[in-house]
Amino acid sequence: MNLFYKIITFKPSFGLRIVTGLVGIVLSLATCGIVGLTDMVAAQLKTNDESFEGRLTEAGAKVYFEQCARCHGLQGKGADGAAPAISSVAFLGTKTTPSQRLKDIGWIGTLEGYIEAVTASGIPIKSSQVWEQNHPPFSQRFGGPLRDDQIRNVTKFVANWKQKPFTDGVVDAPKPGAGSGPQPTPIPLGPKENAGLEVFKGAGGCTACHAIRGIATGAVGPTLNKLASTAEKRVTQADYKAAGGKATDAAGYIRESILAPNTYVVPDCPQGACASGVMTANLDKILKPEELENLIAYLVTLR
Amino acid sequence: MAIIGQKLVSQIRETGWKATVAQRTDDAFTRFTAGLTWDDVRGILRGDPPAKPNPRVKPHTEGFWFHIRPTFYHEAVTTLYPTFRLGYLSALFFLIETITGMFLMIFYTPSPERAFTNMIDILTNVPFGSFMRDLHRLGAEAMVVVVTLHMWRTYITGSYKKPRQFTWFTGVILLIITMFLSFSGYLLPWDQLAFWAVTIGTSMADAAPLVGREVNLLLRGAPDIGAGGLLRFYLFHVLLFPLIGVVFLGVHYYKVVRWGLSLPPEMEAIGEDTARKVDQTKRVMFMPDIITNEIMYAAVAMAILAVSSATWYTAPLETHSNPQVTPLHTVAPWYFYWLQGLIKIPHILPFPDSLNMINKPVDDLFALVGLTPKMLWGIVVPPIIIVLLFAIPYIDPNPSRRYKDRKIAIGLAVAFELLILYLSLGGIPTGVPGTGFGYVGGNPVVEVAQEFIPDEGESEVKAIPFDELIVGKYPLANDPAIDEHKAPHLREIVRAIYADMEHRKHTADPLGKKMPEEAEGDVQVKLLQEDLKEFIITIRYIDENQSPQTFSKNAYIHKNSDYR
Ligand code: HEC
Ligand code: HEC
Ligand code: HEM
Repeated sequence: MNLFYKIITFKPSFGLRIVTGLVGIVLSLATCGIVGLTDMVAAQLKTNDESFEGRLTEAGAKVYFEQCARCHGLQGKGADGAAPAISSVAFLGTKTTPSQRLKDIGWIGTLEGYIEAVTASGIPIKSSQVWEQNHPPFSQRFGGPLRDDQIRNVTKFVANWKQKPFTDGVVDAPKPGAGSGPQPTPIPLGPKENAGLEVFKGAGGCTACHAIRGIATGAVGPTLNKLASTAEKRVTQADYKAAGGKATDAAGYIRESILAPNTYVVPDCPQGACASGVMTANLDKILKPEELENLIAYLVTLR
Repeated sequence: MAIIGQKLVSQIRETGWKATVAQRTDDAFTRFTAGLTWDDVRGILRGDPPAKPNPRVKPHTEGFWFHIRPTFYHEAVTTLYPTFRLGYLSALFFLIETITGMFLMIFYTPSPERAFTNMIDILTNVPFGSFMRDLHRLGAEAMVVVVTLHMWRTYITGSYKKPRQFTWFTGVILLIITMFLSFSGYLLPWDQLAFWAVTIGTSMADAAPLVGREVNLLLRGAPDIGAGGLLRFYLFHVLLFPLIGVVFLGVHYYKVVRWGLSLPPEMEAIGEDTARKVDQTKRVMFMPDIITNEIMYAAVAMAILAVSSATWYTAPLETHSNPQVTPLHTVAPWYFYWLQGLIKIPHILPFPDSLNMINKPVDDLFALVGLTPKMLWGIVVPPIIIVLLFAIPYIDPNPSRRYKDRKIAIGLAVAFELLILYLSLGGIPTGVPGTGFGYVGGNPVVEVAQEFIPDEGESEVKAIPFDELIVGKYPLANDPAIDEHKAPHLREIVRAIYADMEHRKHTADPLGKKMPEEAEGDVQVKLLQEDLKEFIITIRYIDENQSPQTFSKNAYIHKNSDYR
């Protein structure tokens, strides 16, 4: 109690006041000096800047996976008919070479500017027949769902692929003009193929997992737009043979893929790497032999 | 011009260069200090006794700044007790906030498109920017503390009694202004924390009967906080509230000088006020004693604030505000936890069931006039508290300021403070850690994920060093397959998530909810880009309807993001 009383009735002497005051002032000024030095000389500001760039890229990743991945794919590799690859050397360029894509279309601004512009406003005119839809606008200013800070963040995220793009982009990104003009008339399907298409849409239940332009939009298994052409290439590949694949032509490959889907597991699915055991494995029991033949006949026409 | 020139020339002729310059400088100095010569000031700082007649009272009579400061104090109020210098410190913080605030204003635009970007600019592009922001934020919190303590001390020493009732009255206005300043400033960074705390705060006004909707519209400028709301809060914060603050600070200060600082209660006869009748021998002159004292306090407070801001304190900045996504467990500023506690009152009563007997009829009564319990606690009670605060000096019938005569008053105050403390603890968004008091969490599965990857704010997961995030999938286990030397933090987190999940299986949370027995899960680390990884917690369980469920939550982690 006595001590308490002493503390609360403490009155610093004149000298103590001056000294304590001086110490306080010097300490405050020194702190300001140190803060100034770390901010400017020791580049604290730059560290802060990198830190926030990182955080904004994180926020951009969230936007990308919510809004863009459904067309451009989880790894930005694009998807047939839906969207071009944007995680590609051709689009992003490398540290030393500028973007080929921007050169081709004659964009004179920066890469970031282009990404931001396309994302914000969409591509208002049909630039190519390769894509089912025009690029949708994303900025709220143009009727889209995103605020402009989100557009800037997703731009940072896309541009950040530049350090190591997932593809070189030559295959995935069509050259400007490629496929423009009238679309090639589809090969007319015969009665057998038409019956096969019906199996694909109906009894087979394939549409739940696979996408074919204009017919199905499943996003579990690989897109089948060009199945026959890829199949022909695949049967010659070493990894296919190593996995035990026995087919020598497209029809054989497709038959095998349907009857024994786990023999060779395709590397890329829309959601990432394909997993073995996902595709229905007992289709020979579900489909009648005739239905199976029709289905294969249809799938072989996909080129 | 000619005349001044002539005078100068003749003065130099008569007394020489040196003396003229010295005399003129001293003259200017004296005009600046409103009456003190250079030697006077030196004397003050050296503690010399004053000359006679005392020149040091001149600034009080002639200058503007010192005319609202007294020329002397009673010896008995110059020690730490009874004032603890809390009122002075409140004014000091008001000044610090004004100066740091003006600095921030230069770089800030009150628009939803720019505000958050501006905040980042302040932190990444403006020298002293983050320091100033920390000072401003910490200063604001300190000011709330100091002003509240100041109110406490004037209450405890009974200084609000005759003739200082109106001093107290203006003080309550200053308290409200302090709170409003803090609250309006809270919105300005325009991050998730800001947006949702203020949305919830103003939505309480919305709940008020009759005028609630209109008041809310007036505050927000639209049904929801947007461009209009931000601009209004900005103008409140930098214009309206400071203006009211300055006006009442002036009145408050003037009243303090007019009545003098109240003496320690035991020194006066009951009902008497002798603060202004100070015996010559008991006088402590403002210059040099009080002023050096005040400079010392200011310097020490400033040093503590500056060192804290430069070291341990960092003002938070979360992600950009998003009206579409309410973060789980929105956080009000801590000095409003008691209000949050009030709204949660049915959850935090120590004996909710028995009290229902009283609670229910009260609620029913209020329901008759269209008030829900939330309105009762959120809208009706706080204004009552404020009105009571204003009224204290006018309704306290006790003329005595002595502690032993004021057992009831002091007892009530302590009880009130304990109640506020209780409500504040109950108002902590996640409840008091380790006790479950005030807990309002939801599904335990979601809570586990939220615990490690909160929607906003710091988290252990985000603090894992980037290199330790080794790509792979790790089933939750006590001994996960992670190299202890290569990735100790990652390993610890996986273990901690497992432990938390197991704990929740065996012990129900305060609301009686348990984690399903069979729940199991994993942590997955994916590489998205060279310097960007994804951390995913997945928990699989069987819900009450016996159907299997999967819950997962993720965080993106950039190499540089450096969450401190
Ligand atoms: C509906 C599908 C779809 C969605 C969703 C979508 N895109 Fe696209 N994106 C496209 C198509 C189609 C093109 C090609 C348009 C063209 O060239 O006319 C394209 C082109 C682009 C390009 C230009 C590529 C180039 O080579 O010129 C960028 C950059 C881009 N998208 C970014 C995004 C971002 C960022 C998002 C998410 C906010 C997104 N996209 C969402 C379909 C989509
Ligand atoms: C449950 C989802 C699912 C269903 C239903 C499904 N698939 Fe698949 N499919 C997959 C997955 C996943 C893969 C890739 C993994 C693999 O190769 O086994 C795949 C691969 C394929 C391939 C090989 C593709 C390539 O690019 O090499 C063909 C062909 C195929 N499926 C045809 C069909 C047909 C025809 C049907 C309908 C009878 C069908 N799938 C139904 C998921 C499914
Ligand atoms: C911004 C907020 C405030 C400022 C800047 C301020 C400033 C001051 C100052 C400088 C004093 C002189 C005594 C001292 O230093 O303690 C004082 C006295 C006083 N204040 Fe405040 N004050 C504020 C808020 C309040 C509040 C919230 C109350 C009470 C509700 C209050 C009530 C009083 C009373 C009653 C006195 C007279 C004390 C006495 O004579 O002993 N003030 N105030």
